[in-house]
Amino acid sequence: MKAPLHPLTLWIWALLLAIGVITLNSSWVALFVVGVAVAVYLIRLDGAPWNATFWWSIRIALAIVFIRLIVGVVIGVPIPGTTLFSIPRISLPQWMPGIRIGGDVTLERLSSSAHEGLIIATLIVLFGAATALTSPHKLLRVLPIFVYEIGITLVIATSVFPQLAQSLHRIRNAQKMRGIEKISLRTIALPLLEQSLSRSLLLAESMESRGFGVHGKRSRYKPSPWNLRDSVVVLASLSFCIVMVAA
Amino acid sequence: MIKFSNVSLIYPQSTKTVLEDLSCEIQEGEMVLVIGQTGSGKSSLLRLVNGLVPHHTGGILAGDISVDGISTREVRPGNLAHLVGIVGQNPINGFVTDVVEEELAFGMEALNIPHDVMRKRVEEVLDLLGLNAVRNRNIATLSGGEQQRVAIGAALVMHPKVLVLDEPTSALDPIAAEEVLSILHRLVHDLSVTVIIAEHRLERVIQFVDRIIYIEGNGETSIGSAEEILARSTLVPPIIRLARALNLQEIGTSVRDVRRHTSHLRDIPTPESDLTTITNTSTWKTIVDVKKVSLSYGQTEALKQVSASIASGEIVAVMGRNGAGKSSLLELIVGLHRPTHGSVTVLDQDPSALHGNARRKMIGYVPQEPSDLLYLQSVAQECHQADSDSDLTPGTTFSFLGRLVPNISESTHPNDLSEGQRLALVLSIVLSSNPDLLVLDEPTRGLDYQAKNLFMLALKEYAQTLNNPVILATHDVELVAELADRVIFVAEGEIVADGCTLDVLLSSPAFAPQVAKVMSPKPWLTVDDVISALGTQP
Repeated sequence: MKAPLHPLTLWIWALLLAIGVITLNSSWVALFVVGVAVAVYLIRLDGAPWNATFWWSIRIALAIVFIRLIVGVVIGVPIPGTTLFSIPRISLPQWMPGIRIGGDVTLERLSSSAHEGLIIATLIVLFGAATALTSPHKLLRVLPIFVYEIGITLVIATSVFPQLAQSLHRIRNAQKMRGIEKISLRTIALPLLEQSLSRSLLLAESMESRGFGVHGKRSRYKPSPWNLRDSVVVLASLSFCIVMVAA
Repeated sequence: MIKFSNVSLIYPQSTKTVLEDLSCEIQEGEMVLVIGQTGSGKSSLLRLVNGLVPHHTGGILAGDISVDGISTREVRPGNLAHLVGIVGQNPINGFVTDVVEEELAFGMEALNIPHDVMRKRVEEVLDLLGLNAVRNRNIATLSGGEQQRVAIGAALVMHPKVLVLDEPTSALDPIAAEEVLSILHRLVHDLSVTVIIAEHRLERVIQFVDRIIYIEGNGETSIGSAEEILARSTLVPPIIRLARALNLQEIGTSVRDVRRHTSHLRDIPTPESDLTTITNTSTWKTIVDVKKVSLSYGQTEALKQVSASIASGEIVAVMGRNGAGKSSLLELIVGLHRPTHGSVTVLDQDPSALHGNARRKMIGYVPQEPSDLLYLQSVAQECHQADSDSDLTPGTTFSFLGRLVPNISESTHPNDLSEGQRLALVLSIVLSSNPDLLVLDEPTRGLDYQAKNLFMLALKEYAQTLNNPVILATHDVELVAELADRVIFVAEGEIVADGCTLDVLLSSPAFAPQVAKVMSPKPWLTVDDVISALGTQP
C-alpha cells in the first residue's frame, strides 16, 4: 500500500507542469516532463483498474505526434531552409494563397511540426498520468456537490459499458448455440437494448429507494485528508512552473 | 407498522387487475411471506410498500398504504429511504458504487447523515452480516451469497423499520440461501425489523415466516398464518404435499414438526431398498464423454482434471455452490469453450467444432437467461423461425409449446411472457430441432411449483421417449430429487461426488430435500417415494 495522496494533488501537479510546458514552449523541457510523468506513474502504480489507462494516453500521444508530422509534411506553410526531400505538389486555385499541398519538405518545417506535436503529446501524457493514478470515485467525492451529481451519472454510465459488453458476450454465445452464426444487428441489438434498458431502470429504482437526490446536501463517508506530502508535491511543481514561466 | 387499506392496483393497457381490495395490517417485527404464481403481482405488492409503485413504475392505485403513519401516496420513495429498505431480485443490478464499504455508505451519504454516525453504522452492519473480510473488495468479484448480503447491508445501514426482499435466495445455492435466511430471522427476532419477502421456493423460507399473503392471480388476496394459507393453497412445498398425501391431521411448516407427526410411519418396516432402478444397461450408449478436462480462464482454474461420461436417456443434475464450476462444465460440453487440457466429445465429435444446423441437431442449450435466445417480435414469429430453421411443417413448434403452456397467445411479445412461459417457449424452440442432447443452465429460477411441474414432465418425456440425455445445472434440490437419475456434485472445479440421486443427496444434509429430512433415515426423497414405499394407505 502506498501512502495515499489527496485525489486533487496529482491533478494540480499535472496542471502546473502543463502551464509551464506551454509557456516555455521548449521541446527539450517537454521531453523531460514526459520522462517525469512516466517516472511518477511507475512510482505511484498501485494495481487499480484505472492504472492501465496510462498506456492508452501514451499511445494517443504518440499517434498525435505522428499525425502532426504527416500533416506537417503534406500540408503547411512553406518554411525556407534545408530541403530534405520533395514530394509532388498539387496546385491549388489562386484564391487559396499561403496553403500548399506537397512540395519541398525542409528540415525546419519538419522540426516545427514535431515540436508542436510534442507539446500537445506532453499535455496528454501529464493528464493521462493524473487520471491513471487517481481513483475516479475518490476524485468525485472531493469535487463540489453540483459536480458530484453530474459525476455520479458519469460513473454509472461508464459502469454500464462493461456490463453491456458482458451481456453482448452472453447473447452471442447463446445464439451461437442456437446455430445462429451470423452476427446481425437484428438478433443482437434487440435483446441487448432490452436488457440494458431494464437494467438501467432497476438501477434508477434502487437509487431512488435509497434516498438519492432527496437532500440538497450530501455527507461524505471517507473524507480525503490533505497531508504534508500533498503540499510538498504541489509546492515543488509550483516552483517548477514559476521557473519555467519566468525563463 | 404497514397498513394496506382497500388497496387495488391495475396497470394501464392491461385488462388484469393485479390487486383488488387488499386490506391488512402488518405488525412490527413480523415476517410476512408473499406467495403467488409467477407474474401474479408479488413484486408489485412489495414495491407498493415504499411507493416505487406507482411513483416509479406507473399504474393506477386505489386505496392507501401507510408505513409508520406516512402515506406512500404523498411522498416519493426516496423520502421513505430511512424507513423502508428494499432489496431487489438481482442485487447486482442495484449496486451504485463498486466497493463494498462505499456501497454500504451510499444511502447514508444521500441522506446527509453525519460522518461519525456513518462510520459506526457501517462497522455495525459489516459485523452483523459477516462482511468484514470483504469490506474493501470490488463488489463484482464477490460470490452470489456475499452480494446478496451486501445488498441487505446497504438497506440495513439506514436502520429501516421495514425490510422488503424480492426472491432473495433464488440465485443462491442451498448453503448461501440458508445463511441469508438465518440473518433475516435474526433481524426479526433481535431488532424487531418487519420483513416482507417474496419467494417461490417455499421449502426454504416457510419455517421462518409468521404470516403469508397469497395472491391468487385474479386480483384476489388472502392473508393468514402459514398453516391456514397452505392448507388450501395450490402452491405448497413438498413438506405440505407429504402431509396431504399421508392424510395427516395437522400440517407443520418445519421439518421438526412433520417429523413428530410422522414418527409412527418411519417405524413401519419396509422391504430393503428396492429403489435401485432396474434398467437394461446394454441399450445404454455413451453420448457425452469428458476425459480429464481442465479449463482455466487466465489465472483462475475453473475445472481441474474432470472426467465424466453421460449415457443416453439419463437425466443428470450438476450441483454445487455458486462459482464451483457448474456452468464451466456445461459450457465445455456444449462447446462454448475448448478445454485447456483433456478432451470433450459428444457422440464422438468435438462439440466446439459444430456449427449452424449440425449444432442445432446435436445439442440443445438453454442458457441461464433464456431471453438471450429470443430476438423476434412475437411468440408466433419465434415459433415460425424455429420451424423454418429445422424444416418442420409450420406450426409444429407452436403446437408443442401449446402442450407445455396451454393458453399462450401467439401475438404476445416474448418480453411480456411470464418466466415460466418464456422458459417453455425457449424449450420448445430448442427441442424443435430434436437434438441428441439437451443442456440447461439453472432452468427453474423464478418458476412457481406448477410451472416447475410442467417443465419436469417435458424433460422426462424428452429423456424417456427419445432416449436422449439431459444435463442440467441447478441449485434446486427438490427439482433434482423429483427429476434427476444421477447427480454430479462439483466443488472448487473438481467432481467430488458422482452417483445416483439418492446416494448423493442423502449424503449431505445441506443438499437433502425436505422429504428426505423428514423421513430420515429412510431413503426416500420425494412424496411419491414415500407413498410407493408405504403402500397406498399408511
